[in-house]
Amino acid sequence: MKTFYGILAVIAVVGVAAIVYSVRGGDGGMATEPIDLRQLADASALLDRAQGVTLGEDDAPVQILVFSDYMCPACATWAGQIETLLKAEFVSTGKVRLTYYDFPLGGHFRHSFVAARAARCAGDQDRYWEYHDRLLGAQQEWGRSQATPTAYFIDLARTVGAEPRSFEACLRSDAHAEVVTANRLLGETLGVGATPTIFLNGRQLRQWSDYNAVRAAIQAAGGV
Amino acid sequence: MSTLAAETPASADVGAVNRMSIAVLALAGLLLSTYMTLYAFGVIGDLTCGVGGGCETVQHSSWARLFGVPVALIGVGGYGALFVAALLGLQPRFAARPAVPRVLLGGAILGLTFTAYLTYLEAFVIHAWCRWCLVSAGIAVLIFLAALPELRQLRRQA
Repeated sequence: MKTFYGILAVIAVVGVAAIVYSVRGGDGGMATEPIDLRQLADASALLDRAQGVTLGEDDAPVQILVFSDYMCPACATWAGQIETLLKAEFVSTGKVRLTYYDFPLGGHFRHSFVAARAARCAGDQDRYWEYHDRLLGAQQEWGRSQATPTAYFIDLARTVGAEPRSFEACLRSDAHAEVVTANRLLGETLGVGATPTIFLNGRQLRQWSDYNAVRAAIQAAGGV
Repeated sequence: MSTLAAETPASADVGAVNRMSIAVLALAGLLLSTYMTLYAFGVIGDLTCGVGGGCETVQHSSWARLFGVPVALIGVGGYGALFVAALLGLQPRFAARPAVPRVLLGGAILGLTFTAYLTYLEAFVIHAWCRWCLVSAGIAVLIFLAALPELRQLRRQA
């Protein structure tokens, strides 16, 4: 009987250790946090790497910059309600160009950095905006996860028609970590302190949650 | 020696080996389903499943829950009950109780049936194979085989 209980103990210890390892670790070489700026000799050089994702005509009279976090509920409201109308009425007609910058707040929004990277990995396969919309729309589902919702992100990539293996390889690496960090740094430089922060032709649009106010601001800025 | 005393050592030997096997297998199944349950509840973000992503496809399918309960959690309950029953069945105080073979055999049959249903779903409905689910299916089959000698115990009681 001693041998039997010994076998049970070994199985239990090995099994529990494997589970604990999975709960604590498991992210491998995946970048889940912004680059630590203190480790950089010249953090300001990183600003040059900031790059938004654009939608619309380059020469549109109204340029809207959005600094947003994928885990922030207000950002989901902006994307689901205002951005959708904006795209239909102004972006598709060439009056507005949207540029989306990542501003991962981190902290309580623990997956915002990796979510921003995931969207850009989808962007590598020309699925950025589809992924962006789905990610924000399903924020409540993946946002609850304690651990990095890698599998969820991969499944989401599949649903928008991205090739899952290349997406997964991108997600599990540190790809786009630099540009996402740089975007956040750019936001900080511009005084962004909360998300979403919207700039319309260089001026902050404070009434972003009211579509009529957004429309009026666009029309006043020349997007008639 | 009484008749009971003459029978007990032989039946206890058979019972001990098969119940030990059930306990070991059920413990492995319990740990595996705990791992899958933690994934279902989002505590583990990534299933270690090898390349292909079959586990994630199965775990994100609408079949991964039964009446809102993650299938893996049902596994925790089933394997846990079998583990406890097998351990109790190894204790001299409970070994000869009629409930032990009933619980072990009944549990093993239920587990095998449930596993067969889940494997059918993977093969013909979801069209994806979850490797950990297959390992669990293998454990359920082995538990069933290990529980078969309990039939003899049941017949003797009858």
